[in-house]
Amino acid sequence: MSGITVFQAAKIITMDPNRPTATHVAVRDGHVLAVGDAACADQWGRVRHDNRLAETVLMPGFVEGHSHMSETCFWDYTYVGFHDRVDPDGQPWPGLTEIGAVLARLKDAAVRLGPDEPLIAWGFDPIFLSSARLTRDHLDSVTADRPVVVLFSSGHLMCVNSAALAAVGYDRASNVEGIQRRPDGEPNGELHEMAAMFPVMRRIGMDFRTRSHQRAYVDAFGRICRRSGVTTATDLFAMVTQEGAEALAQATVRPEYPVRIVPAVSTLHSTPEEVRAQMADLRRVNHDKLRFGAVKLMTDGSIQGFSARILWPGYVGGQPNGIWNMPPAQIHATCAMMQQAGIQMHIHTNGDEASTVVLDALSAAARAHPWPGARHVLQHAQMMGPALFARAAELGVCVNLFANHIWYFGDQHAALTIGPDRAARMDACRAALDAGLTMAIHSDAPVTPMGPLFTAWCAVNRLTMSGRTLGAAQRITVPEALYAITMGAARTLKLEAEIGSIETGKRADFVVLAEDPLAIDPVRLKDLPVLGTVIDGHVDAMI
Amino acid sequence: MSLPRLPLTVIGGYLGAGKTTLINRLLREDHGQRVLVMVNDFGAINIDADLLVSADGDTMTLTNGCVCCTMGADLFMAMGDALDRRPRPDHLLIEASGIADPARIATAARAEPDMAYGGIAVVVDALHWGALADDAQIGAQIRGQVAAADLLLISKAEGGVPPALAARLAALSAAPQIDVADCAAVAPLLLGGLAPLQGKRDGGGHPAYVGWSHEGDEAMTRAALAAKLAQAPQALYRIKGLVAAPDSTGWEVQVVGRSIEIKPALDRVARTRLVAIGPQSAIARAQIADWWSQG
Repeated sequence: MSGITVFQAAKIITMDPNRPTATHVAVRDGHVLAVGDAACADQWGRVRHDNRLAETVLMPGFVEGHSHMSETCFWDYTYVGFHDRVDPDGQPWPGLTEIGAVLARLKDAAVRLGPDEPLIAWGFDPIFLSSARLTRDHLDSVTADRPVVVLFSSGHLMCVNSAALAAVGYDRASNVEGIQRRPDGEPNGELHEMAAMFPVMRRIGMDFRTRSHQRAYVDAFGRICRRSGVTTATDLFAMVTQEGAEALAQATVRPEYPVRIVPAVSTLHSTPEEVRAQMADLRRVNHDKLRFGAVKLMTDGSIQGFSARILWPGYVGGQPNGIWNMPPAQIHATCAMMQQAGIQMHIHTNGDEASTVVLDALSAAARAHPWPGARHVLQHAQMMGPALFARAAELGVCVNLFANHIWYFGDQHAALTIGPDRAARMDACRAALDAGLTMAIHSDAPVTPMGPLFTAWCAVNRLTMSGRTLGAAQRITVPEALYAITMGAARTLKLEAEIGSIETGKRADFVVLAEDPLAIDPVRLKDLPVLGTVIDGHVDAMI
Repeated sequence: MSLPRLPLTVIGGYLGAGKTTLINRLLREDHGQRVLVMVNDFGAINIDADLLVSADGDTMTLTNGCVCCTMGADLFMAMGDALDRRPRPDHLLIEASGIADPARIATAARAEPDMAYGGIAVVVDALHWGALADDAQIGAQIRGQVAAADLLLISKAEGGVPPALAARLAALSAAPQIDVADCAAVAPLLLGGLAPLQGKRDGGGHPAYVGWSHEGDEAMTRAALAAKLAQAPQALYRIKGLVAAPDSTGWEVQVVGRSIEIKPALDRVARTRLVAIGPQSAIARAQIADWWSQG
């Protein structure tokens, strides 16, 4: 694409303070050549005018700083969650609010299966259902001649039918923790935790390890991103082999692939030299749309699972403090090692104790191995307040806050996990910005659906499912939220020189919107239609 | 003939407790079993070049038939890979990461029909465990590892396990406490193997194990077998084997410390065959024989 194309739009929101809005953007060689009016690129030579987007509003393509490509693997199965969800092909799957509806959808899916195919469903979330608990008897009523497996949204539970129980030999004599039982001692179909679920998963072929980097799934992930206006997305905590990395590189290199992928890999190495060598091998497959280079660390668990490490006064129900995935000593050692190796870290911390330990570790690492541009990112960081944000600011550390939690789990956090005082200051976007931090906000897809406009809506309105405003003082403005899902997220990925705004020199990655997000009522932000995306100046990604 | 079940033993214990030392020892011992070992940190495994057949990115193959590899992205799926290996290994040993609850892993061996429960051995560093167990941040997880153990292997206890430590561990767990420095070989503890240790003493003069093996025509119901195993002498570390049943295929038995696991045998059990081991200092072969033969 060597010619110059000038796209006309009803409005262009650039995220460039030098020219906040415009009506035209000129593109050459996949990059923004000029921004302004219809004549903006005339000094560069002959231009071709493209009016296909003339009725739309353009913004920089959204950047999802915390998502997982495994989302697409789940769409091989039937969605039975409480919330509405859209599949990669754009088909809406209405949320199911009672067990009868779940069973009806399962029956419908069973009819369409091949003779020996198991029936697998995902996203089930009983905490929102008031009806009776799902059991093997319910699932036997769907079909008795093949295994039926319903995965719960937490990832820690499943419910299966009698055929699945028989396939793994679970019965009243089984001495296995995690098999839930009826009063008569027979398994009721519910299985808790991986150890008890794994034999079932093994027999129905559920192995996601390499699947999400195969072509068909990579393509499906691209469709999900395009539909939500995302042109750069992370695959956080990707465990990749060199072969997997090469497959991912091939699947994303095509010009029409609609999204740049930024994986953050988990590493098992324990010396700076080994990690450097691993990252150098991975970086070798990089291209414009694939950016290996960062790593991901897991420190604690989740707040709603009571496995996050939190400070005094702990969980309101008196639950024991959560669990470390890495002990603090190892967090310190790993942070020092990565800092020494010069590798950026995305560090999962949900609870405030975990965030504190990580900041301690990053502070020590910064003294031992000075690196002003490290820009490590605390991911989720849901319980950080002004004091911790100030420490992050001193260290040049960024945060990516889990704004979607406010709507999806805010009521639960107030009632069950950490109480209303701390729930009101969760995912404290206002405090993070006031501390001067680089801040992104995220969906953690597939934990919640990808949709930066929804995520921005959460940060702006802080409404919960029950309709309460959770912590009005931590709301941010619409422009601040739009910055967080573009430039803010781009900065957490160290890509702000390439993406995140529409200005000369940047990549021509745009989201095409039906309306102006700055002009509508902020409570409508989540409903603003995304019409498509433009990547490297290609408009063929329209929905 | 079905494939034999794959026994799984999990090694737990905090960073630096001595898990890797134990694994290095096991890989070198002459136990005659093809053990697949999954570790966290490949770099720490130290195998002499003359024992290596091959070593690539994440797998080492040894001349004695053992294989050592990293577990990769998903521990449970890696267990599936181990089960799918042909020939299937004789034993799977997984090193739990320093803070992990070993029971979360070992439970899979009870759940999976193709696996057998080979127990949880937690390595306890006699010098540092007390302080770690009292640590405000990780103490609960450290104590939880001991509570989950079937065998407690005490490391760095030069001159014997301190009584205060022994008492603290005993309050958390009924598992036998074994000073690894006193062990002639670690394979019998971790694998429950019998052949190499029958009447064998090591050269260093350490106390050896007592091995007992039995073959007979008795047939037992599951309930009778469970009752029998529950009365086994406390000092026995391990019992394993096949027991004939009056009206079914038979039973596969794995006893590790206080854990008793009985699964239906995969093939018809013609004769009952059992092996057991315990420390020579605490039990005599005749005691084991008496326990089994007494009605």
